[in-house]
Parts: sequence; structure tokens; C-alpha cells
Amino acid sequence: MHLIKRIFLIILIFHSVLTNCNIHAQTKGAEIAYLHTDRTAYIAGESIYFKLYVLDVVTKQRSDISKVGYVVIRTVNSEPSLKIRVKVDAGLGYGSILLPDTLQSGVYQLIAYSNTTKNLGESHFFRKQITIVNRYDKALDFKVVSSAIKDSSLYKISGDATQISIEKPIYLPREKVIVRLGKFDFNANVSVSVFEMPNIPSVYKTIGESSADLAVNKTSKKPQTYYSPETKGKILRGTVVDSKTQQIVKDAVVLLSCVDSIPNLRYAVTNSKGVFQLLLSNYYNGKELYLTIRDVPESINWQIKLENEFAQSEKWLPSLVAYTGNFKDDIVKSQNIVYINKSFQAEQNQTDKHNSERESICPRFYNCPVETIFPSNFTPLPDFLEIAVEILPRVRIVKENDNYKVQIVNNLTNEYSKNSPAIFLDGVLVDDVNKIIQLGTEEIRKIEIIESERAFGDLIFSGMISITTYKNEIENTRPASHSVRVMNDNVNSGVNFNFTKPATLQQRNMPFLKQLLYWNPSLEITENTDTSFEFYTSDNLAEYMIKVEGISSNGNPISATARFQVTNPVKNTAK
Amino acid sequence: MKHSIYILFLFVCIASNAQTNVLQRIPDIDSTFSAELTGEFFFESKQYIGEQYFNNDWWDGDVLLSSGQRVNGKLLKYNGLFDELIWLNNSNYGKFKLDKLSVDEFWMRKKTGDTIHFKRINVGDTTSIHRMGIYTEVMVTGTLSLCIQRKISAVGYEDEYKNKVLGRYYNLKSKPLYYIKLPENQYLLINKLSNTSFLKLFPDKKDALSKIIRDNHFNAKNENEFVKLIELINREGVF
Repeated sequence: MHLIKRIFLIILIFHSVLTNCNIHAQTKGAEIAYLHTDRTAYIAGESIYFKLYVLDVVTKQRSDISKVGYVVIRTVNSEPSLKIRVKVDAGLGYGSILLPDTLQSGVYQLIAYSNTTKNLGESHFFRKQITIVNRYDKALDFKVVSSAIKDSSLYKISGDATQISIEKPIYLPREKVIVRLGKFDFNANVSVSVFEMPNIPSVYKTIGESSADLAVNKTSKKPQTYYSPETKGKILRGTVVDSKTQQIVKDAVVLLSCVDSIPNLRYAVTNSKGVFQLLLSNYYNGKELYLTIRDVPESINWQIKLENEFAQSEKWLPSLVAYTGNFKDDIVKSQNIVYINKSFQAEQNQTDKHNSERESICPRFYNCPVETIFPSNFTPLPDFLEIAVEILPRVRIVKENDNYKVQIVNNLTNEYSKNSPAIFLDGVLVDDVNKIIQLGTEEIRKIEIIESERAFGDLIFSGMISITTYKNEIENTRPASHSVRVMNDNVNSGVNFNFTKPATLQQRNMPFLKQLLYWNPSLEITENTDTSFEFYTSDNLAEYMIKVEGISSNGNPISATARFQVTNPVKNTAK
Repeated sequence: MKHSIYILFLFVCIASNAQTNVLQRIPDIDSTFSAELTGEFFFESKQYIGEQYFNNDWWDGDVLLSSGQRVNGKLLKYNGLFDELIWLNNSNYGKFKLDKLSVDEFWMRKKTGDTIHFKRINVGDTTSIHRMGIYTEVMVTGTLSLCIQRKISAVGYEDEYKNKVLGRYYNLKSKPLYYIKLPENQYLLINKLSNTSFLKLFPDKKDALSKIIRDNHFNAKNENEFVKLIELINREGVF
């Protein structure tokens, strides 16, 4: 009896130690995000400029793990309106989101996270509310989040260590403003926004407040599986299931390729939970991905279920109230400013951001000499059956149970291989030879053949036939039930903020109205060096706020605010 | 006895827990990030007398692909006869000749722990066999670099009965070729090592090089001494 008690005690201790280790392992390398936006209220048609900070959940320092961040904007019904992927480098990423003119007026939620944040649970995602007003909305009867009215800390100037100094509290229109941040005894990277103070209530959390809040262990639903850090780019994740029984399929080989003049391939094998993941390099950016399962047994229906990296299982259920504050005039003013700027195309000369590096390496299926045939050099032939007979002497097509099968002569044995070669159509590996049978010499531009048995990683193929068509015929083929096509959006590169040039100020006949005077997503602060920046005021007479958010190299949050006024003394006197 | 039961039980717990974690929490992490090796099935002809490989045993090695990606922990052999890198695929035990154009460099680790570094170089020979470059062992890197092609050549043949079948068997012999890379990225070839053949390559530096050879009693006929000579020339800053 005594022995049993002891064993039980040991198991208990051991189990608690291991559980602790597991929690620690889950937290290790996990990240939290903070999103600094240029403002908190927008008119549809404007851009949201943002800076994404990805921080280590424990040290709060900039994380160097994730190279991809995710930003979702969703409505009060938890419907995602906009979803973007952001390139992250050393814990920092920035870009802009153009708000479509069609967005309805109301409050929206901005969510930001990295893949490893998912390991902590959705409650650790960064969330922030913003207000978007449709440019043509005249009624302006939308509701605001009730907590925003009670806790509108945007207007508070918290006790910041960072000092912002400006030369004077009141400026004239089109006047230069020099802002000094002073000297610091550390290096840091901050984002700076100078914008007109909005009257629409909103809850604002500084980077320090937010990261302290998100790092606290929350009782949210933890994910069932581990999310790998996206250290080299986006990871496409999914499961293979039996479509009838919905049971997971392990050890299934999932193949990925996309339309290209070069046959390309990546593959992954499902694990014990039926999960597979594929690293998507820059090569796949903005391309349609063709996924299929290799060697699906006959009469079995396997299916690929891709995970939506933007999906949110937790609903946003804000309590909304009609706001009675006097903000309608301000919104109408904002709508008019956007309208004027659009009419005069004042914002048009924004330059495209450094066209995110195009270093894209094609995952080639082969890298050896191939036999290339150009069917246009031969007599026109109606289909691939004829082409095989007439111009491809070492390829034959046989019919078995109403299905065609391609065979190729092996260069070593000089006999037809029993297994089919890898067949590529416009760079995409096709699982069914029937997809190429109808193609004749008028459609096919080039045929490439490899006769030898080939290895692609652990996969073996009995040669290769690659067909390149004139009009990317692969796009017209119907995917099999075990295949899926999905568009891989580009990484958000956004547009640069259009800094005012002194020449613009001279053009008195052009309207120069701005509610966002300055946005710099990446201002470097160097140790013991004065940091300053400058911008020009516009003809928009209002009270403005300078907002600085950032993080020092040792993980200390930096937040600071200051205000100033832009007035026209002549007009004021006249009033 | 009691203690043994405790310890045994603990070990079982540790092992089971560790395994579950690995299986459930890291799904195919290696395959997600690693690139794939591509190659052609390699048929190994036995009609040779002597070894066609630089290393007869499979050595653990890493491959740097031309895409810049690195594939680690593969079983490799360098075939000096065909100048090909052969990979033994553990999952199907097939031997594959890696696509030469996809390999930039590779490293093989001897059982003793020493690492041998090979690099594919384009030596400017545009004949079909050399169009894709040749694999050479990197011996010295510096102002002057020394790369050695571990070439194995067939020298004559013998007709022999093996298993009651008459066959022609070629004699294989190691015939290394020495490539010296100049600062201006040109390669000079030495077929046979000797002080004279080396000095002939650099007529304008002959005196300085002769002095180094003489002062250090180098005999360039010996490969090890030749390597040391190139290292010394780099240190002395002759070029």
C-alpha cells in the first residue's frame, strides 16, 4: 500500500513538472503583436498607415522569429472586411491598407498577430477598434462601442519618459514644424504620427500597456496543434481527410505547384494528425496554388482542407450605443477633405513602396538537360494521342478501363516503365493524364521529356513529360476532387506616406488640406544622438496630436504624445 | 527492488511523454523548411577494377543548392569517374546522381570527424562534359585558391571471366587535376605536380616563388607540400 502511495506521488510530481515544461515550451518563442496606426478614425477611400511590432511574449523585446505578420479588419458582426499579410523583419513590419469606398460606416476591429501567437490562444491577439465612415454617408447614425465613451484614453497624455518638444504651441498653415525627441541612452525604433485630433471616441492603448496586457496568461482556448514559427515565410497549413467519414489521413503526400514555364514542385507529408504544412517562398506570392494528393487509392475520396490563416474563432461582441457627442460636423469635414483631395488628385503621387524584393527561386522539378520538342515544327496533329504516336517515339499512351495511361521508355532498361511519369501541364503537376489528351499541336508550344527515373526528395517518378501550352490550358482544366486551387495573395507592400515637398506649399491655387500631417513608420533613435523630424502644416485649421510609439533595443516601450494648434490669425481676428 | 521499479516507471513516463510531444507538436518541421534534392537514378556499373568513388563508404554530408538553400544530413559519395555526386536516399535505398546544376557546394564528414569540402567550378572549358562545371575539393582559399578535381580515369582494360561470363573490365586509377584560381577569377590547370610545372605558370613571379620554394625546401611533387606552398604564398602576399 505504501509503495502504491509513493508511486502515485512520484507520478503526480512528475506530471506537474512535465505540464509546466509544456507550458514553458509553448510560451518559448511565442510572440505578441502591437499595431500602431496613424489614426483611429478614417473615411472610406483613405489609407490606414500602420506599423506592426512583433514582440517576444516573455522579454517584450523585438522578436526575430516571425517573418510574417497578419492583420485583419472585421466588422461588428465579426465578418472579416480586409485581410493582409505583412512582411516582418526583426520584429518590425509596416505598410498601408487602402479602405475601399464601399465600406459601411461603423466601428471595426483591427486584429494583429503572428503564427506563434496562435499557440497562446486568440485572446493574446492584438485588438484595437477604429472607426470608418463611408464618404457618401450623410445620415451618420452609426453606433460606437460603449466602452470607448467611458475610456477614451486617446486624449490623455500619460506620464511618458519620452519628451517631445516643439518650438511653439500654435502654428500657421503651411509652416514648418520641427519636433525634437531629445537624446536617449539607448537605441530604439519608433513610429510617429501627426494627425488631427478626432472627436470620435476610441480606446487607445500604448505599446507598453498593450504588451503588458497581452503577455498575461489568459484562460483562452489553446490550439490543438502547434503552430510553427514562420521564420522563412508564410506556411500553408492544412489537413487531408476522407471526405465521407471525415477521418484524418496520415502519411498522405500533398503536392504543390503553380503555373510557370518551368515544371515546379513542393510536397509535404501529413503527420499523425493529418496535418501538412508547406513553406511558401516569395516565388508563390500573387500566384494561384495548385494542390493535389499523390496516389489516392481508387474509390476513396480524400480531400484537402486548407487552414485559413486569417480565421478568427472568437467573436467580437461589442456593446454598441448611439453616441450623442458632437462629432458629426467633424466627420462631414473629414468627408469633404477626402472628397476635395480625391477630386484634385492631391494624394495621387504616392509612390509604391520598395517593390518588396522579387528574389524568388523556382522550386524546379529538375535541373538537368532535357529533350525538348516543339510541335510547331511538325505537321499539325489534333491531340496528344497522335502526337505521342507521330513525334514522341519513346512515349506511348495506353487505355485501361476507359482511362489513359502514359508510359515512357526508361533510358537504362530500354523498356516501357510500368509506372507513369510525372506529367506537368504549364508547370503544374497534373494527377490525371486525361487532362492533356485533348491537346494538339495548335495548343502545345513545347514538350520536354526526361526518360530516366528521377528522385524529387523522397518521391520517385518514372521520368517526366512537361507540356507548355500557348494559352495556359491548365487554367481551363477541372480540378479533381482531391485537388484544390487557392490564390496566394501578395504580401502587403502598401504605399509610402506622401511627405509634403516645399514646392507643394508654393502652389497657392491647389488645395492643401490634410488631417494626417506626418507618418513615419520607422524612425531610428541612436544612443546619445539628438533625434528630430520635421513636417509642414496644411490649410486644415485644427488641433493636432503628435504620437510616438516604439520599442527600445532592450525591450522598453516608448510612448509619447504632444499637441499643437494650426490657426490662421487673420481669419480668427476677422471672426 | 523498489528503487528499480521507481526508476523504470519514471523512464517509461519520460519516454512516453517525450514521444507524444514530439509527434503532436512539431508536424514535419524538417520537411516544411528543407529543400528537396533532385537527381537521376544511378546505375552502378561493376565493370571496373579499382574504385570509382573518392569515398568508398557513404559519408554523412550537407549540400548547398544553387538556389541558396542547404540540405543537411544526407548520405553522399563522390564518383570521380563520372564526376558526379551520388546520394543514397534513405527512404527507398535508391542511389541517385544529383542534378549537377542544382549543386553548388557540398561537404562530407569522414568517420574521423574531418570534413571535406567540394565546390562546383566552371573552368571555362565549354566541351559538353564540362559545360555544367566540375566538382573539385577545396584545399586552399585566399588570393590564390587551390581546388583539386579528384578525377578517376580508366587506364586500359582486362578481359576476364566472372561468374563464367567473359567481360571487359577497365582499370581505374586516381588522376587528380589541380586548379589554381587567380585573383582575377581565372583558373590555371596543373596536370602533374612539380616545382617546374608550377613555376612555369607564373613566369613574372618566378624569382619570388623560387625563393619561397628554396627557402622552405618545398617539393611540389607532394600534394600536401603543394597545399602548404600555396598557403605560404598567400601569407607572403606574392600576388
